Amino acid sequence: MLSQEGMRMLNDISIVDFVLVDLSLYLDTHPFDQEAMEYFNHYVRIKNKMSRDFSMRFFPLTTDQAESKKEWRWGTAPLPWEGEC
Amino acid sequence: MKDFGFDGNCDKFPVGMAYVPWQQFDKICDNLEEGFRDGTIFPELNKPFTGRRCVKC
Amino acid sequence: MWSYERRLQFPVNIKEPNAQLAQAIISQFGGPDGELAASMRYLSQKFATPYKEVAGLLNDIGTEELGHLEIIGAIVFQLTRNLCMEEIEKSGFDKYYVDHTLGIWPQAAGGIPFNACEFQSKGDIITDLFEDMAAEQKARSTYDNILRLVDDPDVCAPIRFLREREIVHFQRFGEADREDCSKSAIT
Repeated sequence: MLSQEGMRMLNDISIVDFVLVDLSLYLDTHPFDQEAMEYFNHYVRIKNKMSRDFSMRFFPLTTDQAESKKEWRWGTAPLPWEGEC
Repeated sequence: MKDFGFDGNCDKFPVGMAYVPWQQFDKICDNLEEGFRDGTIFPELNKPFTGRRCVKC
Repeated sequence: MWSYERRLQFPVNIKEPNAQLAQAIISQFGGPDGELAASMRYLSQKFATPYKEVAGLLNDIGTEELGHLEIIGAIVFQLTRNLCMEEIEKSGFDKYYVDHTLGIWPQAAGGIPFNACEFQSKGDIITDLFEDMAAEQKARSTYDNILRLVDDPDVCAPIRFLREREIVHFQRFGEADREDCSKSAIT
């Protein structure tokens, strides 16, 4: 089970990533909107950092963050569909 | 039925086709967490369900 | 190609199992207006799209729908987790249980298995985009119906999120269609 702090970090990553998803669909149909691109660029930098920090402290979110020594960190990471309950 | 008073400009468009107005980017929502829970960061696209049950959790 | 991120796009943490609700919500897993149909529709249509921007949009929305499929799967899984036999019998879930136990299998609420007849990939970009806009409205309607059946806030929260995504997708497909109509004439 993820600690409170881990859950908070994952929640924040979900929020920032969602901003990226909603902005990327907007940019798909508005490819020259400068303001939207600036928002996107700003949040993509934040998300990448948050994701790297999370994966170092808790578990990898993507396979390219799954460098492992004694145990395969990707395989032993929690399954997201099981929930916290 | 309520008349929203659209100025009927769309009646000047070619017939035989259908049109969705372009979204004009104004701003994203102030509270990003709330935008996430609502399902969009664009306030003008936020059209919540107002029927019975589960109106606001 | 696809990579996987080890989190749900929206969290699902359901405390109370409810087999009856699961039977309704499974329609958004494998039903005609559900997330699997949506995803397969857009990811199939993308190939014959003449415009790069529209193909890109179909790819991006098709990808997001796979994430939504996972959310619905998690909801049905958590609603049917640890059910006792009495609950399975009483709720009418026994008909699904006999073939799938507590496994998740893509079917509509009425029992029709997921199949490609539930979507079209016509190869005509204007036709395909209107198919997609209709699909998003059908999905939004289905979520309205689910919200009328639900009073558990743990279920309500992800369903409201998914419903709003359909509205946003409808807008995007509509905008893509404006792009196409300005570039091509129907002959």
